[in-house]
Amino acid sequence: MEAFYSMKNILGTPEDWKRLGFRCGIEVHHQIKTEKKLFCRCPAGPYSNEWHAEVLRHMRPTMSELGEYDGTALMEFKTKKEIIYRLHRDKVCTYEMDDNPPFQINEEAVDKALRIALTFKCKMVNELHVIRKQYLDGSIPAGFQRTCIIGVDGVLPLSNGKEVRIIQVGLEEDSCREISDNGHRIVFAVDRLGIPLIEVVTDKTFESPQEAAEGVQRIGRLLRATGYANRGIGAVRQDVNVSINGSTRVEIKGVPRIPRIPYLTAHEARRQESLLQIKDEMVRRGLSSGEFPIDEKKLEGNGISFHRPELKAAQMAGDTIRVIRLPESKGLLSWQLTGIRRFSDEFSGRVRVIACLDQKPNIFHTDVESAVLDDHDLKLINEFARCGKDDVAIVVWGPDLDTITAVKEIHIRWEEASQGVCNETRQALRDNTTDFERVLPGPDRMYPDTDSAPFEITREKIEAAEQFIPEYPWDREKRYLEMGLPEDISRNLAISHFADLFDNLLEEKAVAAIRAGEVLARIITALRRKGFDLTKISLEQWEDLLRGLGNGKIFREGLFDFLKNWSKKPTSGFTDMLGEYSIVPADENTIAERVSEAIQYAYENVQNDIEKRIKVAMGEAMQSLAGKCAGEMVYDRIRDNMINDISC
Amino acid sequence: MNNETSIAQDEILSPSLPPPNPEEDYKGYKGHARKLLEEKGARVWCEVVLETTSGDFPGILLPRTETSDDRHLVIKLTYNGYNVGIAVDTITSIKILGYRKANYQIPEKEFPFNPGMPDVVLLGTGGTIASRLDYRTGAVIPAFSPGELYGAVPELADICNLSTRKLYGEFSENIGPPHWMGLAKEIKKEIENGVAGVVVGHGTDTMHYTAAALTFMIQNLPVPVVIVGSQRSSDRPSSDAAYNLIRAVNTAATGDFGEVMICMFGPTSDYYDLLHRGTRVRKMHSSYRSAFRTISDVPIARVDDKGFHPIKHDDAYRHRDHSQIPELDAVFDERVSIVWYYPNMQPDVINSLIDNGYKGIIIAGTGLGHVNKPLYPAIKRGVEAGVQFFMTVQTLWGYVQMFVYDTGRDIMELGVTPLANMLPEVAYVKLGWVLGHTHEPAEVKRMMLKTINGEITEREPIDGYLVMQGGLPELDDYFKRFQV
Repeated sequence: MEAFYSMKNILGTPEDWKRLGFRCGIEVHHQIKTEKKLFCRCPAGPYSNEWHAEVLRHMRPTMSELGEYDGTALMEFKTKKEIIYRLHRDKVCTYEMDDNPPFQINEEAVDKALRIALTFKCKMVNELHVIRKQYLDGSIPAGFQRTCIIGVDGVLPLSNGKEVRIIQVGLEEDSCREISDNGHRIVFAVDRLGIPLIEVVTDKTFESPQEAAEGVQRIGRLLRATGYANRGIGAVRQDVNVSINGSTRVEIKGVPRIPRIPYLTAHEARRQESLLQIKDEMVRRGLSSGEFPIDEKKLEGNGISFHRPELKAAQMAGDTIRVIRLPESKGLLSWQLTGIRRFSDEFSGRVRVIACLDQKPNIFHTDVESAVLDDHDLKLINEFARCGKDDVAIVVWGPDLDTITAVKEIHIRWEEASQGVCNETRQALRDNTTDFERVLPGPDRMYPDTDSAPFEITREKIEAAEQFIPEYPWDREKRYLEMGLPEDISRNLAISHFADLFDNLLEEKAVAAIRAGEVLARIITALRRKGFDLTKISLEQWEDLLRGLGNGKIFREGLFDFLKNWSKKPTSGFTDMLGEYSIVPADENTIAERVSEAIQYAYENVQNDIEKRIKVAMGEAMQSLAGKCAGEMVYDRIRDNMINDISC
Repeated sequence: MNNETSIAQDEILSPSLPPPNPEEDYKGYKGHARKLLEEKGARVWCEVVLETTSGDFPGILLPRTETSDDRHLVIKLTYNGYNVGIAVDTITSIKILGYRKANYQIPEKEFPFNPGMPDVVLLGTGGTIASRLDYRTGAVIPAFSPGELYGAVPELADICNLSTRKLYGEFSENIGPPHWMGLAKEIKKEIENGVAGVVVGHGTDTMHYTAAALTFMIQNLPVPVVIVGSQRSSDRPSSDAAYNLIRAVNTAATGDFGEVMICMFGPTSDYYDLLHRGTRVRKMHSSYRSAFRTISDVPIARVDDKGFHPIKHDDAYRHRDHSQIPELDAVFDERVSIVWYYPNMQPDVINSLIDNGYKGIIIAGTGLGHVNKPLYPAIKRGVEAGVQFFMTVQTLWGYVQMFVYDTGRDIMELGVTPLANMLPEVAYVKLGWVLGHTHEPAEVKRMMLKTINGEITEREPIDGYLVMQGGLPELDDYFKRFQV
């Protein structure tokens, strides 16, 4: 059971991944910018933590079109959660609370989704069919998400020349925001529900953690390049699916940041490898088939007294304590899976989610080397469970019904261990390992939305959408770098919605590349970070500004102040703004005069140091010339003047 | 979400296609689409690969909604479970891989029998209390048997021994007098067989008409008769169907009530259902879970997981009393109508009813019970021809009061009888029932004004005008006063 790489080198080598048979697929969910939500006419953001009413629902599993209950559905009903929805009167209507049927799908969202699907070179469907995808975790008040497929079979090229297949580009409603989840009560804010979400799903063709990260990054950049991607916290969420040879697909849900993907997927592959080793060990011990008997006993308090504080507290509170004997399991529960995770964590995760015993620790077991349980408690538990020397006991405690569920889940997980890896959705933890979230849903939870009529995608619609397909941002970035633009400008401009405007102006030679690049990729960002809202200035207005920059109506040095003012009056035209803030270019006489005065000043105040003298002269001249002529020109004049002076 | 199909190939593919059945094989397809399917030998539920000008689409061929166009085929994509429509004119060929028909059934289990538990019968009339999907219309249609119900809502077995009988399979807009009379007879039969209570599964749109009709047609009830349905389809995990059913069955099995009631969500949350008197209840929202409201009165009780919490005073509703003998009185004269008055209504509206042989007309008048002057001659003509006119209010809440204004006095003078605070729909049902007994004007009037069970109340309680009746914090606070 030697790890094939040390934990310090979790990312391994390509050979390691090849040997393990690492496979990974990704799903990127990205909100798209629209005015209104997908199936009702509520505003598509922003969120608010205020709320005016609460609604309580429970989720029962129901049947899909093909007549079978879905695995996830059944599991989640077992948890019997009270689900509380918080409603904000301006952000939620009776549609989101599922007291009104959906309105027609938002055409603005469909049009944007079409463009995105075409950007991924998908085959387009001709008619959208809204589907109900069941979610019993409560994240949607109806119990299902409305979703549809826009295109299938797209392509994503990677930098190593590999082409990843995009299985589908879908359009769906975003779910609620989870506010808290404690025991049997989970609270959601409903405002996010219904914001249009693009779902991009790849085939499982990524063969290393690094490749997967690049895939997610490229999908994100391509979405950004369309100009429709929403920004902000939670606007993008990615799920990664990992499997290795002999395992089954495991989904890691809601990965927050791309740099974590290689670590998370590597840890997951390692966890799966360990689970397969545990499976082999179980086979070796004859725990491979047929019955998996466990003994379970309710511990009645008489005369038994634990040292361990959690168990003591449970006894005091009158909670039920149950002890489960797993035969022939010595050494398995403490088996290291990956990082600090052990096999016992697999049981703990199920108990946490399904039995709602979510205060950790929520189980103890007797397969411990460390001093989690002292000898007194170990002896007590082992004796009570009648453990033989190769057996291990697990203890759970809490409300009686929850402990019954916990025992069942421990039994199920123990049986599943003999199969190796379980089909699960897992959540990412801070240390880049994962914990159980739910059983992975299958296609059985999809069925038609009988409230929605099919929506035809006409050829005209597709042809119109084809006009908006952006160049691949990585190609664009390369082009800009070759043009000599700085890296940051190239990178940001490549996914900017200004990129086409930039290219057009450059082709016309209307403005210098570096000047326009600076404005579009640096200055705007800098101002936005300072809180100036430039989003209301239209592409046409920006075009006027850049042309003005090219033909000397405005200069780089005056841009900051000019834009600050423009952000306050974004509807004003460029020329009007110029007039209003009297930015009139300085004429040749004025420039000559100011330069000459500045040089004079520098000579009077700086001795002998020519560089310093130039600097002081420059500062003096620009005090009156800033924004009225090009700074470089002033600099050149001062410098020429002074250098000539020396040479004389 | 799911990249791989979990349906194994060998599970999908049956060795051969079943015998042709044109009705099923092309369900919903017409015109171009149907022609293409016939040409290529493909049928609904075939597993196919649609080869198109833009590439291949593998999936299961699904039935199509009949009202949709004939230019697309619908398939459920094999690899992700999504449905998509593919344009017929892009399809170059259809490769048929096999056949798999969907199995719609709710898992059916035998309903357990426990001799210590009360017997309850559930009479089905249709509606969405339990349902499956129908591709013909793309809508949800009912599925109904004790086994199916037990499979879907196993909690029922903890309440009673449930038997079910499907009397009708109708959407509630199609339910009318014959069904009311039929139901009344069946309810009597079931009560005589000794059930502890009767539950009627019903589509919600006209549930309150049925509730009123049953109140008149089967009186002196020893046990509760509870009408129940669901507002949000039972295929959705957060449907109100299961809770309504559990609470209705519990009411029928153990509730201390002896009248016809509707049991539906109180607030939109899952907290509790309200038991509404059959003659005072109305559907007040097209889609809310909490659509049903008692009008001009308070509901009889709340029912939740803990049991029953009466809102009405103990002596203000009928209690369970097994010594009572139910009286069946199932008659109805269908020549009855409601006229919803609107400004500038022309007399021909009334005249055409008279000319078509209607014997009774309920007017839902404005305000305290008014119509405009141009209608007077038509009403007069009707009264002279033996048509019975009654006045209700379209404000729904409040009483008809025709003495306040001249208009009211004039209209009464014409022979229109005010019906106090009887709801227009209830008045319609009651008039049909009364006319089933007699056409003698004085007797009709006497019977209309003699209250059977709360269709007219002597007083309007101060809390009878709580429109939301649960759901908003202040109203929930109000109801908390009645918690037991």
